[in-house]
Amino acid sequence: MTRYKYTTVEEMPPLAFSLESTRKIPTGSWRHVRPVYKNKTSPCEVGCPAGEKIPVYFDLVRQKKYEEAWYKILEDNPLPGVTGRVCYHPCEGQCNRKPYDEAVAIHNIERFVADKNLRNKKLPQVSETPKSEKVAVIGSGPAGLSCAYQLSRKGYRTVIFEADHEPGGMLRYGIPEYRLPKKILDKEIADIESLGVEIRMDSRIGGNVAWSELEKFDAVFVAVGAMRSRKMDVAGEGLKGVYTGVDFLRDLSTGIVPKVGRQVLVVGGGNTAIDAARSAVRLGKKATILYRRTRAEMPAVPEEIEEAEKEGVRFEFLVAPAKITGVKGKASKIELIKMKLGEPDASGRRRPVPVKGSNYTMAADTIISAIGEEPDLSFLPYSFLKKGVRLFVDDDYSTGVPGIFAGGDAATNPNGTVVNAIRAGKDAAKSIDEFLGWRTQSNGLSHDVVHPDDVNTFYFPHEKRVKVPRIAVEKSKASFTEVNRTLTEGQALDEAERCFTCGTCLHCDVCLTFCPDVAISKDKDGEYVIDYDHCKGCGICVNECPREAMELVPEGAHEVEEEAVQA
Amino acid sequence: MGQIKYQLPPEEILAPGHFACPGCGGTLTMRYMLKALGRKVIVVIPACCWSVIDGPVPYSAAGVPVFHTAFETAASTASGVKAGLEAQGDHETTVVAFAGDGGTFDIGFQALSGAAERNEDFIYICYDNEAYMNTGIQRSSATPFGAWTTTTPAESPKAEKKKNIVEVLAAHRIPYLATASVAYPDDMIAKIQRAKDISGFRFIHVFSPCPPGWKFEPEDSIKISRMAIESRVFPLLEVFDGVDYRLSRQPAGTPVRDYIRMQGRFRHLREDQIEEIQKYVDEDWERLSVRLASTKGAEHLKKAAPQKEKESSRTKRAATKVRSRQK
Repeated sequence: MTRYKYTTVEEMPPLAFSLESTRKIPTGSWRHVRPVYKNKTSPCEVGCPAGEKIPVYFDLVRQKKYEEAWYKILEDNPLPGVTGRVCYHPCEGQCNRKPYDEAVAIHNIERFVADKNLRNKKLPQVSETPKSEKVAVIGSGPAGLSCAYQLSRKGYRTVIFEADHEPGGMLRYGIPEYRLPKKILDKEIADIESLGVEIRMDSRIGGNVAWSELEKFDAVFVAVGAMRSRKMDVAGEGLKGVYTGVDFLRDLSTGIVPKVGRQVLVVGGGNTAIDAARSAVRLGKKATILYRRTRAEMPAVPEEIEEAEKEGVRFEFLVAPAKITGVKGKASKIELIKMKLGEPDASGRRRPVPVKGSNYTMAADTIISAIGEEPDLSFLPYSFLKKGVRLFVDDDYSTGVPGIFAGGDAATNPNGTVVNAIRAGKDAAKSIDEFLGWRTQSNGLSHDVVHPDDVNTFYFPHEKRVKVPRIAVEKSKASFTEVNRTLTEGQALDEAERCFTCGTCLHCDVCLTFCPDVAISKDKDGEYVIDYDHCKGCGICVNECPREAMELVPEGAHEVEEEAVQA
Repeated sequence: MGQIKYQLPPEEILAPGHFACPGCGGTLTMRYMLKALGRKVIVVIPACCWSVIDGPVPYSAAGVPVFHTAFETAASTASGVKAGLEAQGDHETTVVAFAGDGGTFDIGFQALSGAAERNEDFIYICYDNEAYMNTGIQRSSATPFGAWTTTTPAESPKAEKKKNIVEVLAAHRIPYLATASVAYPDDMIAKIQRAKDISGFRFIHVFSPCPPGWKFEPEDSIKISRMAIESRVFPLLEVFDGVDYRLSRQPAGTPVRDYIRMQGRFRHLREDQIEEIQKYVDEDWERLSVRLASTKGAEHLKKAAPQKEKESSRTKRAATKVRSRQK
């Protein structure tokens, strides 16, 4: 800045002029509210049972840092290749983009990240020091794997006891190859093992391994899943040609081709029923699903139902089996009864009521019952508190017997899906950690969730959701090859761009662009700095922020907060 | 693809600590103008908000030489400053007259018209906040129909329509004329930079919301500007040589009501009056569309959309213009 060359007022020309910058004027004193940067929680993070940090790993994907993105997912979920394929993605139901155009294809991006790291053996280093306590996990399904994985990350020595020849539980024996290829599962289980988790195959607790064996461990997590099909309770269920969905799928998974007739009837409306029907189609048979309610009440994932339809699976609604009759011990006919929907039941769905006298018979040599699964808890040496067929557990997954925890489909806590099992395993690991006297840090999710109205959609032009590449229906019907393909890198990047990244600052510079007071700048690390000496608190930055990563707080409020922290 | 982002020239010439009200559109206009033109600029400011915003003696926020002048003299003073620079052999420094709507539409109108007619070589930027805000919100000929001001109270709001300054200036056949908005800073900066490359009289009409004068929360400044553009109240366009109209952004055509209802200055309006405003806006848009279609910009109209690649063709055109003028 030029200095005055005049020493007295008389020397100055008869004209007022200013050479000083207004920077010396602290206009910040006008302010009664102040803008602050504050990251918030996106609804997808809340929607994800496993609690994956979706906006964070999406941002890493956008930067093409696929390995780091993978590590970010692995903090909460050791099986992203699995969930990226089979999860019912409740996250997408919560996506703020859904009311705007279409939800972001989160699960496809998750799968893309996992598949990008398919050959990556370098797991993230866990800093925690090894602990002396040992934990036993019964069952190597998603709940058991997730729990053992989280415990080993916390430094525990963990042993999984698995009754089968191979690990994975329902992931291996319940989900067909065309939805979840075994090589993906094998890879992710191998990753978990490489962290130090020991999986003992062919070790059935209460069978070849005595319960007392578990007494050597400091804590036990029971995650045996629900591997037994529920009975239809109709006459003729024991006839030849009548399978349970679980057995049918297990046979296929282990390479045994079950003997089925040309026409396969599947009873049930869940994912097992759909999987069985689509598998039957792949064996070259005609498949019909019989469900006692209507399509709207089907518990199966809607996309799976659509896929089944595409592949020619027929659906008959409002019908239930009444009797199976056979010739020479082999099923030949099924008697069905029509149903109608009555009052809502405990699940909130309308209860099916039989229509009297509506019975009819049809020829059937192959019937697969897939009306639900239940756990087999007969191995437990003493009685645990149960609710229905499941082990009763508290919110912290404790069973009431000190040191014994349970989760997944075997227990009462959220069950029925892979991701709920993963969550149960993760949260139970936290409880076990606390039980063994260690303190676990909270996941730090803020309670401020970003709502659709908080997003400044001006900044996001409408874009269509990615169309997931899949193999042609004719081809998919004929083999157990995986139906859906992984997104290409281009597709994944485009789709990741659609994400609003609700509540997480991406340093997009919108706040800085619109500040009339030039009060926002970036420091040498690229972080925003607000010059409170000059900020007048107009709030444009907060209002314009595309993703609600800022907020206005009353002037003085932050001081109260800081004092509270110090005190 | 993805989020809309702005890449503005990084240098901040405007200093903080100025005396603008929180959320001031006129100040953002100054900030973007300085970003677009750099430091080799002399700004002439007549009586307007910026007489105050720039700061009391001995302070100045602009960061470049500012000549404060009388209300009616922005265009004539700027003509003089430019002549003075030329006489000193300085052909580089850009002269900018930076005036409010009062000093442009009303009090400085004869000076403006004279400078435009003489095709004086400077850029005239009018930051239009649609009333005499600095002196206490009195109506100007830029105040829109139906608006409250202290001289057009709610019982008898302004009965006349806003003066169409774009058509007035186009009738002067000046080489470059553009409208801009603080909600589209990239567009504004591109236009000011284009203006810099053209010689002769250039006029940029900037829509500058005023929170205290229009009665809305300062945080909504940008949102309101955006609604004005998207509802066609204030179309973003360029006019070359006073005849060749180009649309810069195809407005979404959102209801004017949304824009009106956000502002306290229109609070007294009844639904039928808002419909009347909608009718005026539609008619003006119709007229503008005819004009756009009948000029060389017709081809452009079809494609006009907020797309980046359009920028280059327009810049190219502007560059050709400069070259042809130099011949």
